Amino acid sequence: MKLDEKTNYIVSGLERSGTSMLMQILYTGDIEISFDNVRKPDDNNSRGYFELNGGKIINLIINGDFKFDEYRAKFIKITAYGLKFLPPGKYKIIYCERNIEEVLDSMEKMIGIKDRNRDDTKKSFIVLNNMIKKEMNNRKDTKILYIEYNEILLNPEKNIKKILNFLNLPYLNLDKMIEVVDKNLYRQRK
Amino acid sequence: MNGIKEKKHTNIQIPTTLANKIKKRIKGTEFASISSYVTYVLREILSDTEEKTEETFTKEDEEKVKKRLRALGYLD
Repeated sequence: MKLDEKTNYIVSGLERSGTSMLMQILYTGDIEISFDNVRKPDDNNSRGYFELNGGKIINLIINGDFKFDEYRAKFIKITAYGLKFLPPGKYKIIYCERNIEEVLDSMEKMIGIKDRNRDDTKKSFIVLNNMIKKEMNNRKDTKILYIEYNEILLNPEKNIKKILNFLNLPYLNLDKMIEVVDKNLYRQRK
Repeated sequence: MNGIKEKKHTNIQIPTTLANKIKKRIKGTEFASISSYVTYVLREILSDTEEKTEETFTKEDEEKVKKRLRALGYLD
């Protein structure tokens, strides 16, 4: 399904907040997304990461090396910290939010080590999340839709319709997109 | 020896009318009981309240975030 040729589309949120699941939902709905296979699916993302540059797109954006004009009319994944460096343009962002304790648990599992400074880490990520949301809400070149990870698992139809409405797309592939949401992959539940 | 076990749950009371509304709402969902739904809602509210901080994203915060992102493979 076609997106606007003049807009860059982004899936974002803190790391481990459901961004890969959102990308897969869009992909299954025949909505164009861009990703490579540098980082292969693993235990932490059994269906894949759906990201560019092995996940290290933020480095390219910080250095001004990411060619946003080559990625118009398709979704790319840029996690929350990367939005801090978004250049002026025209953007539609789907921003995924998840219970912060679940996010931190998932990060620890992925890294494989308990965070001894978890409270400090938690505070920093909460502040980052709030700052990015405030910045994106204030940008005139950006439209943003917030999706709650926990909510989309409980009510996929309602939330996927919100996404399609946000993108001005019909519900043609709604059933396929709903099937992507697998509660069995909902780990680190709080 | 102290035989008292630490309590893991506390009972609270809600109006019957509210309980019935919740029962209707959770029918067909993965919430197995009124308690599990109420626990979920309250956790979300408390987590949301904790997150509504107006603190500034300091250089120190940024370094902590970047350290985590490097460990997760999102930054060089």
